Amino acid sequence: MTSTSPHLVTRALRRLPIAAGPALLLLSACADERQDIFTPQGDSAEKINRLQVPVFGIAGLVGVLVLGGILVLMRQGSRRHNDAEIDPVQLEGNFKLEIGWTIAPAVLLAVVAVFTVATLLDLDDVDAAPPPELGEMEISVYGHQWWWSYEYEMNPSDTSPENTPEIVTANDLVIPAGVPIRLNIRSRDVIHSFWIPSLAGTRDAVPGRSHDLVIQADEPGVYDGQCKEFCGLSHANMKQRVVALSMPEFQTWLEQQQETQPLLEEGDVGYEGQQTFLAQCSTCHQINGLENADGEPIVVEGGAAVVSRYAPNLTHLMTRGVFAGALFDLWTTDEDGRPVVDRAQLEAWIRDPAAIKPMYDVVPEGELPRGMPDLGLSEDQIDQVIDYLLTLHPGATEGPPIQTAGAQD
Amino acid sequence: MAITEIPTPGQLALPGGPGEPHTAQRSLGVFARPQVESGWKAWATGVDHKKVGIMYGAAAMFFFIVGGLEALLIRVQLAQPDGTLISADFYNQVFTMHGVTMVFLVIMPMGAAFMNYFMPLQIGARDVAFPRMNAASFWTFLAGGLFLNSSWLLGGAPDGGWFAYAPNTNPIFSPSHGMDFYAIGLLITGIASTLGAINLIVTVVNLRAPGMTFFKMPVFTWMGLVTQFLLAFAMPVITVALFLLMFDRLFDGNFFDVTQGADPLLWEHLFWVFGHPEVYILILPAFGLISEIIPVFSRKPLFGYPFMVFSGIAIGFMGWGVWAHHMFASGIGPISVAAFSVSTMFIAVPTGVKIFNWMATLWGGKLQFTAAMKFAVGLVAMFTIGGLSGVTHAVSPSDLQQTDTYYIVAHFHYVIFGGALLGFIGGFYYWWPKVFGHRLSESLGTWHFWLTIIGMNLTFGPMHLLGLMGMPRRISTYERGYGFELWNMVETVGAFIIAVSVLLFLINIVVSYRSWKALGRPVEAADPWDARSLEWMTPNPTPHHNFDEIPTVTHQDEFWHRKYAEDEQGRPVAIASSAEVAQSGDAHPALPAPSYWPLVFSFSLPVIGYGLIYNIALALAGGAILLTAIFGWALEPSFESGHDAGGGHGHDPLPHGVGDDQGFATVGADADAGQEAVDNG
Repeated sequence: MTSTSPHLVTRALRRLPIAAGPALLLLSACADERQDIFTPQGDSAEKINRLQVPVFGIAGLVGVLVLGGILVLMRQGSRRHNDAEIDPVQLEGNFKLEIGWTIAPAVLLAVVAVFTVATLLDLDDVDAAPPPELGEMEISVYGHQWWWSYEYEMNPSDTSPENTPEIVTANDLVIPAGVPIRLNIRSRDVIHSFWIPSLAGTRDAVPGRSHDLVIQADEPGVYDGQCKEFCGLSHANMKQRVVALSMPEFQTWLEQQQETQPLLEEGDVGYEGQQTFLAQCSTCHQINGLENADGEPIVVEGGAAVVSRYAPNLTHLMTRGVFAGALFDLWTTDEDGRPVVDRAQLEAWIRDPAAIKPMYDVVPEGELPRGMPDLGLSEDQIDQVIDYLLTLHPGATEGPPIQTAGAQD
Repeated sequence: MAITEIPTPGQLALPGGPGEPHTAQRSLGVFARPQVESGWKAWATGVDHKKVGIMYGAAAMFFFIVGGLEALLIRVQLAQPDGTLISADFYNQVFTMHGVTMVFLVIMPMGAAFMNYFMPLQIGARDVAFPRMNAASFWTFLAGGLFLNSSWLLGGAPDGGWFAYAPNTNPIFSPSHGMDFYAIGLLITGIASTLGAINLIVTVVNLRAPGMTFFKMPVFTWMGLVTQFLLAFAMPVITVALFLLMFDRLFDGNFFDVTQGADPLLWEHLFWVFGHPEVYILILPAFGLISEIIPVFSRKPLFGYPFMVFSGIAIGFMGWGVWAHHMFASGIGPISVAAFSVSTMFIAVPTGVKIFNWMATLWGGKLQFTAAMKFAVGLVAMFTIGGLSGVTHAVSPSDLQQTDTYYIVAHFHYVIFGGALLGFIGGFYYWWPKVFGHRLSESLGTWHFWLTIIGMNLTFGPMHLLGLMGMPRRISTYERGYGFELWNMVETVGAFIIAVSVLLFLINIVVSYRSWKALGRPVEAADPWDARSLEWMTPNPTPHHNFDEIPTVTHQDEFWHRKYAEDEQGRPVAIASSAEVAQSGDAHPALPAPSYWPLVFSFSLPVIGYGLIYNIALALAGGAILLTAIFGWALEPSFESGHDAGGGHGHDPLPHGVGDDQGFATVGADADAGQEAVDNG
């Protein structure tokens, strides 16, 4: 994030979302340290950084002194050997000296310990008041093999089973900038670890548990991260991003995301793809508003078809910047530098997902697939499905939806 | 227990009872007790602690090469972004087995090699307390290691990482048999470690030479003792965890199945309650080793012996109170995190004491940089780096950034490679003449040292940077655009330099042996380094019975004090030459006889393991062999009458007119017999 100034991101997003992509592509060309731990962009990461920098400094200094001391002793000692002088005094120890170098490091460490515990308790202060604009909104982050989903609940105090999360999205975690946001970190299969180094430290996503993590992005922008806890086959390809929007934009995003997808009629662009989607993809993937042949809404809830029993909800897919565990950019640029959907990448993904992201493509008899299986679609069907996916964005009449296209690179 | 009694001369604590005239018995089992003393059979059935130690070392070197090849695969895969040399699935197996191999099949047995060979020698004993158990410990370790590695050929090696977090190890998430091999294989090697631990603890407690009080013991033996206590208490914890995992996977135990209400943090706690003492199990023997080497090549006693011993003990105790520092991000409460954070910082204090005391030993010393000394001082320097990075992640908020990145990988390679392994290599150079009767080449050793140091710093140094740049560990590939490219390439180059250094070590072994042989195998004098501890009082290589006569100890550094007095300034004055002090090695005291049963016992365990995985009938057959082995072992007489009529020489506890100390001569054998008495009882 060093050179991708958050201000530029905001401005570009606000003024001309369509032009944001190429500008950011250029800007981030040299931003290759986008996951380092020394460029905090939010409160929690800043607190950690204020502690870690002096600690690294002290450790480095002690290291230089000790290693330097060893070198000096080596030099003197081997000179003494070469001089072939008489044997050294048989010194067996020095109690005061030894007590000294027992106590001195202990005192130094005690000082470090005080600051450590203070920072620790400060970081754990998760009762930060949520911004009033957002009401009771609660965000749960779920780890899956090998992608992240985010569920936004507007009325979390309503615990009735009918109250399901209003927004279920994946890969891009969209939050408002400048305010602390509390996340419930969870997992639906194995242990994962949620980590956006520029915003906060790691928090493990442990199945059966919910862990609090407060993150804050000081400025609008895109913040990279990656699953840290080894979580099986495609652990290396499980990435995540936080997209921070200004508060008004975020509120617009919230409203847009809650719109449902209208069912396409025969003759509409993407209709054939929708039918394929209903027949094949909707076994695992949900799109809010979609109905099956019987006119029933399709609600995929813990579908038994995959090991983790969940696949990304694709509602408003076209407002996201990345797909397949944040592994691939959804967007690229055309000759004029305008962001367009990266059809080739999407095609490759639908054609044979396991070929470009390691997953268990061959499912043993009687077992569940892990990750997206190869559906064996024809090239025509793939084209049609992509035409359909291109329609997955909120009502086009109200101006371009807020999208996170190309914001990464 | 009979083993705690030192029998009076002339009496053997055989089941027949002391004083009774002993009549030779034949084995009640299927095998006669073997009596060979040379050839492969002597190795296979031998119970001599030195043979066991050498076999431990050789097996550890073999697995070191296996684990090293795995490391090279990892490094080639990661040399460039989007590596395609190996698949993600295979990569996960390779990195898991690299870790498992290096921890359980290399560093632990290499420590066991040194402890087996030298702890009895350093305390002036003729063998360990339970020689057959010692052999069983080695063969069980080897059986476990081979069993674990056989998974490569049987559908895939373990793929859950060496700490195998649940529920990723559940058959749903890890469908191959790999994790079954992990659970059962480590259960088997755990049996080996437990047998060894009990054996060496009893040995040190009971078989010290007269006058060798605990605070006259060499520091290597002290650190070995602490290590064995850690093993004795840590192994049960991992055994429980592995047992639960095995039941989960093979018999639907549901211990770690979240859908059945389990909490995966249980595994994390069980694993790390074992796992953190384990890292001290890995490092303390090497700490002890260089505490022998540095004084010898500084021509000074170890600075602050009591501080060195107590800091080792303190590490042993505190090592139990820091495990949750592996879990700062796991979701345990802030008070837990604070407590473990602070305790982890303070375990750096006794470790720091050791570093400073080694430096103080160098201070004013007349340093001779033999290869052994180079590696020992290398340990002090490299371990310092690893120790300091350890302190930086004891700071728990910082650790939330560092955890599970390459920064951690850098840390534990500096302490395990830069610590334990450098110490062991130093030990090889130092004790090679003791074990094999000739030295290793010093010039090749110098090359070996510098290539190792350069290689390890190129390999593991940049890992610090990559971690801080945000490269997570255990990823099979990475993309361009994160700035990871350069340092990964440097690391791969470094890894190959390490590979060359290891090759050089193997060449050194061969070349040194050949040139020694070409010279007609000249006898290496008993004390090539003008050393300080008792093992050097015996001829090189150590004779089967160790000591002709058990020395009576009056000083810490007994051997040195027999050679040197001190003038009024405290400088050493030679009073006797090594040759005068050292023993000739031509006595023939009674020694414990070889046995087949440890071998049978050990290799029944993997049979049970394969049976549990593939066919329960095989497991029952293995169990039957195990039971037979235990009974055969228990009912075996201490000495086989063999073909000799009337007992054979082995029964004579006072064979060739050695002195009163002879009581110790047969203690190993007696203890073995005593153990049988206990077993029989």
